[in-house]
Amino acid sequence: MRKLVLSAVCAVALIAPAAYAQEIVTIGIVTAQTGPLAAPGKFQMNGFNLAVDQINKDGGFDIAGKKYKLALKVYDTHCSASEGAAAMQRLASVDQVSIVLGELCSPVVSAEAPLAQDEKVPLIITVPTAPDLTEQNNPYLFRINAHNGQLTKALVDYIRSVDAEPLAFIAWNNDAGRGGVNSVKALLPKDFKTGYVGYFNVGEVDFSSHITNIRNSGAKAVMLLMDEEPGALAIRQIRDAGLNVQFIGTLAMGSNRFLKALNAKYLDGMVQYSAFPPNAPIDRIKKFNENYRNKFHEESHGFAAQSYDAVYVAVEAMKAAGKVSGGAAIRDALSKVTFDGVIGKISFDKKGQASPPVYITQWCNDGTRKVIFPKDMAAGCGAG
Amino acid sequence: MATAIFEQLINGAMMGSIYVLMALGMVLIFGVMQVLNFAHGVLFMIGGYFAHLFFFHVTGSYPLSVIFSMLSLALIGIVLERAIFRALRQNLPMQIVASLGLILIIQNGVIQLWGPAALQMRTSSVSSLVKIGQLSFTVQHFVIIAVVAAAVVTLYLFLMRTRLGTAMRATSQHPEAAVVVGINPNRVYSITFAIACALAGAGGALLGPLFLIFPQMGDGPMLKALSAIIIGGMGSVPGAIIGGLGIGIIESLSTLAIPTDYRDTVVFAILILMLLLRPWGLFGVRVRGEY
Repeated sequence: MRKLVLSAVCAVALIAPAAYAQEIVTIGIVTAQTGPLAAPGKFQMNGFNLAVDQINKDGGFDIAGKKYKLALKVYDTHCSASEGAAAMQRLASVDQVSIVLGELCSPVVSAEAPLAQDEKVPLIITVPTAPDLTEQNNPYLFRINAHNGQLTKALVDYIRSVDAEPLAFIAWNNDAGRGGVNSVKALLPKDFKTGYVGYFNVGEVDFSSHITNIRNSGAKAVMLLMDEEPGALAIRQIRDAGLNVQFIGTLAMGSNRFLKALNAKYLDGMVQYSAFPPNAPIDRIKKFNENYRNKFHEESHGFAAQSYDAVYVAVEAMKAAGKVSGGAAIRDALSKVTFDGVIGKISFDKKGQASPPVYITQWCNDGTRKVIFPKDMAAGCGAG
Repeated sequence: MATAIFEQLINGAMMGSIYVLMALGMVLIFGVMQVLNFAHGVLFMIGGYFAHLFFFHVTGSYPLSVIFSMLSLALIGIVLERAIFRALRQNLPMQIVASLGLILIIQNGVIQLWGPAALQMRTSSVSSLVKIGQLSFTVQHFVIIAVVAAAVVTLYLFLMRTRLGTAMRATSQHPEAAVVVGINPNRVYSITFAIACALAGAGGALLGPLFLIFPQMGDGPMLKALSAIIIGGMGSVPGAIIGGLGIGIIESLSTLAIPTDYRDTVVFAILILMLLLRPWGLFGVRVRGEY
């Protein structure tokens, strides 16, 4: 009898983890957690972790009467194309995930996306903004965030409405920066004067050469196509060098964290596009911001919001497909899915590109921001 | 155009001064020990982090933070020399592998300790501006140039006028003969590493407040300093000074004529030309049969 009980206990012990393991769906993540882009990579990862924690805390999700919880398999690609390709291959063949999310760097997506197609594993990117990524006729690549063309369109309308000619640029010397400059130039009238276009490599911190050239060009406005850290440096150096130009910035430059890196005097009047104004009086954003602050004890970030939504979109696609494995079925479901996310309504066009709303915010002289576009959502200082 | 040239001359002299600090450290280590330390850039970076630590958590005084940062780096230099580089003397490939490994360990260690986000250190010398006509520079620009000039003069006097400096020069010229006259080469090696690392620490502590303190902040200055000592002549102290300042000023002025992202290309084109036409550098000594 004792042997029988022991055998039964052993059998249960062996079977129980297996049964439990079947309820965990692993999502692959490619991101940069070390190297020069570790800081934005952290926001991306925070978004994924927050979504997974909330979904699991709420008891997971149901598919065909079965309950599933989520787990993440994370690879640090260091923003390197070769490491990104290796990670994508490993996620598809060794880890055998059915969907991959993430990536921070546009050039790395170019290496990962063909593998996603070959291995039939959908890849949802949540940060890279180079417009041509979703122009490659790759049915397995989806982008949740707005690309440079979408982001800049609203900003270009603003540029045309104010006295910003000649317009100078300082941009990252990569796909995101060069793509951004090309997007803006393509949207401006052909006779619009460009004062100076300067590119800098990731990790460069001395903008003095650009400043001299901007001064020489007589530019009235400077567009900064870069992330928070170089953006704060560039603004400080330009103002300290005595240049009184209108600043036009990007997604990364409309946060309180950015204000902390500078001060209200440096930022007063600056405008920037924003996929996610964290203080906007919109319920979904307020709720996300609160949850993010509770978990990470800091202000939320657009990269985190986009990545957070990607996890939910992946879950919606699995639900719609009625299965958690089989990349082809999930891809088909993704192409039809519609989801009300933190960043807005998310659905993908035939190229796999979503069209979330783009906002324009402007810094006020008290260190708050106002929303100036879309006009129907315009709100005063403190809202942006 | 004259305004632009003047602005870039000041900016170039400031960055060139930082390259001089780095190059002097690298050239001392190479001249005395024949060790090429590629990890000098991360020591520069630690200098910035230590200055931040001392400034905000210990002294509250920027000059004291720079001095404490230099002293800390000197200690780290002694430890690195004893623990790693002494065993690898005369083995250039292993020195390169070891210093590349050190870069990875130290950079990722710093990310673990301080996090990946860059740190700011707004000292009064960065907040205060000097206006010259329509131009405006931070006081820190001139602090850097002045401190580096003082460091160069002090180092020159140390090398030429003190017994320890003479011992270092003797060891660099002929280690065996130095032993014969009673010099302890191991002590000289430790002191050389300590001085070189202190100079790198000073560089990081001086540049950090002006820009940002972040794990990769030493990568660019290290590459430029390496170019400076090759252009100036491997092992030549005057070569490191002229090479460092020259690179800083040329790369700044070049951006008035060519796109800014080609700035590094100009420096490395000069380096390649020098290697082709005068591989022993501006102030290096040509050794018969070596080239």
